[in-house]
Amino acid sequence: MTMTHKERVLKTIKGEPVDKMPAFTGFGAVLVEGLEKYDLRFAHVHLDADEMAKAAAATSEMAGLESIVVPFDMGVEAEALGATLNTYPHSEDLLYPTLRDKFVHTADDIKLPEDIANAGRVPLVVEAIKKLKAQYGEEYAVASWVLGPFTLAGQVMDLNELLKMSFKEPEKAEAILDKLSDMIIGVGKAYIAAGADFLSLREMGATSDVLSPRAYKKQIKGFSQRIVDELKATGVPVVYHICGDTNMIIEDMAALGADAVSVDQKNDLKASREKLGDDVVLLGNVNPWDVFTQGSKEDVEREVKASVDAGADAVWPGCDIWPSTSTDNIKTWVETSHGLTPRRNGA
Amino acid sequence: MGSDERKQELFGKMKEGVIEYDEDQVVEAANALVDEGFDAYEGIMDGLAAGMEVVGELFDSQEYFVPEVLMCADALYAGLDILRPKVDMAGREAVKGEVVIGVVEGDVHDIGKNLVKMMFEVAGFTVHDLGADVPIDEFVEKQINTNSDIVALSAMMTTTMMGMKKAIVKLKEKNPDVMIMLGGAPVTGEIADMFGADGYSENASNAVSEAIKMVAALRKM
Ligand code: B12
Repeated sequence: MTMTHKERVLKTIKGEPVDKMPAFTGFGAVLVEGLEKYDLRFAHVHLDADEMAKAAAATSEMAGLESIVVPFDMGVEAEALGATLNTYPHSEDLLYPTLRDKFVHTADDIKLPEDIANAGRVPLVVEAIKKLKAQYGEEYAVASWVLGPFTLAGQVMDLNELLKMSFKEPEKAEAILDKLSDMIIGVGKAYIAAGADFLSLREMGATSDVLSPRAYKKQIKGFSQRIVDELKATGVPVVYHICGDTNMIIEDMAALGADAVSVDQKNDLKASREKLGDDVVLLGNVNPWDVFTQGSKEDVEREVKASVDAGADAVWPGCDIWPSTSTDNIKTWVETSHGLTPRRNGA
Repeated sequence: MGSDERKQELFGKMKEGVIEYDEDQVVEAANALVDEGFDAYEGIMDGLAAGMEVVGELFDSQEYFVPEVLMCADALYAGLDILRPKVDMAGREAVKGEVVIGVVEGDVHDIGKNLVKMMFEVAGFTVHDLGADVPIDEFVEKQINTNSDIVALSAMMTTTMMGMKKAIVKLKEKNPDVMIMLGGAPVTGEIADMFGADGYSENASNAVSEAIKMVAALRKM
């Protein structure tokens, strides 16, 4: 029996047998070719629900990617808390939006919106999800993502200040992370209420490039646990992602009980698989820039196979797909995946 | 005047204080050093900077992570605040040089830049830090206003790295003598050459030795 893209994606995340290895991601995958198709500008797609939905869906329409993911930038939560977004409207280059105003110094500086679902651009993303569900919801998995509290803290406060505070005054840092966790749960639930088929929790700032395993266990893990629990309680699958070489904490990541764990290209996925055994659903870990953006067709084929051989349940890029990536390389990712036997074979 | 043994003891305390991010120990040893009439410059180099060198090694071997390094830096700065005003400049090599540093427009990744900035300060450079997401014109303006020898540009994304090329053209247009140094994960030595930069380093400690070479070359011109 052939499955729809959506069935294949959701079953894979839940660790159920599928007919073929799916090709999807939980991170942004907007492409310049997709923007051109709908005559959109990158700097503006973050600000209009219809444009955001079109830009996201174009990658599936043109290259067959099995998930459709919004939003593309990391600023939604921070903006809803009061930070100012800069989309670089006048730049000729392809620049991701960034945030101004590092306004948080203590937990008291964080004022949670009374109605999180209607704060900042949350309703805009909600609308984009609803549009995508209405138009593509039968066929494709429509997904969204939220930041982890440590990564979000790095958006609204000076990172040096945060890192030092977590050492010198851990309770003060934890009070901040606690409040931000409430915010993230609120945003995640709004996306789920809009119909998101699955959600990724991206604690990308808590990477081993920056934080020690000890700091992760002491200060990050507990908040991740609370968010995973609350989001999973809605019944929607959750994927947990951290960047960098995560093998030092991979058991902790898996123990959170998210439906799947995602790792990036700096991590040795084979070693993760050995540590975790067969039951945990692992997604990863092709280098989005080197392979998908810069690589040839052969590079993409080889790296997709390599991740699967290393033990991935499905191939995910380690981060967002860079917009200048060609639809041809995405097609190769999809076709190569579809030609491989899934780890849990239900064909 | 205290003994050489006592001097070494104080250097050791400062070094250890930096490594163990023990600000109090560093402050105490630095004050003792000054009170007992030892040379402040030696204290900076053989105590504080020597400690930071070890911290750099601990960071490279993944024993220390960024927060630890920042804590060590705080201990180091506490010592620098005490010793720097006491440095007797007469008879010393003139100040090493002045650097404008920042992360290019569109890029907020500033962890690496902050480490590089710290190493420059330790080595005795005067550093003008423009922060992250800095438009090209701000680099140009700051270089001209401070007449800095070096402009150090950081980028962590491939796209923002492309912006460095434009920055180099503009900086050189205004001031052909300025030395430009690039760094950040996507940047390589070849790319730095291709963009027309004068220097490159893949990490914070080599950045300083590279910069010293660049300033020496400048002074010869
Ligand atoms: C932490 C991190 C973040 C943090 C940044 C926090 C902060 N304030 O810095 C957050 C979560 C905010 C973030 C955001 C994003 N990120 Co990010 N991030 C990283 C990560 C995991 C680590 C970077 C880091 O700090 N490393 C540790 C420091 C110590 O190392 P370093 O920066 O390389 O610095 C050393 C050297 O390079 C050198 N150096 C650095 N600067 C200079 C300058 C000079 C002059 C010299 C001589 C030397 C030098 O010395 C330093 C010390 O040794 C990297 C992945 C990686 N491993 O590189 C991705 C990465 C850089 N991010 C990436 C992306 C795509 C993003 C986002 C676009 C995601 C999104 N969808 O929005 C946003 C971008 C926002 C923006 N517009 O800038 C990509 C870039 C892809 C590419 N090649 O273009 C990377 C590579 C991840 C990936 N694998 O795809 N990120």
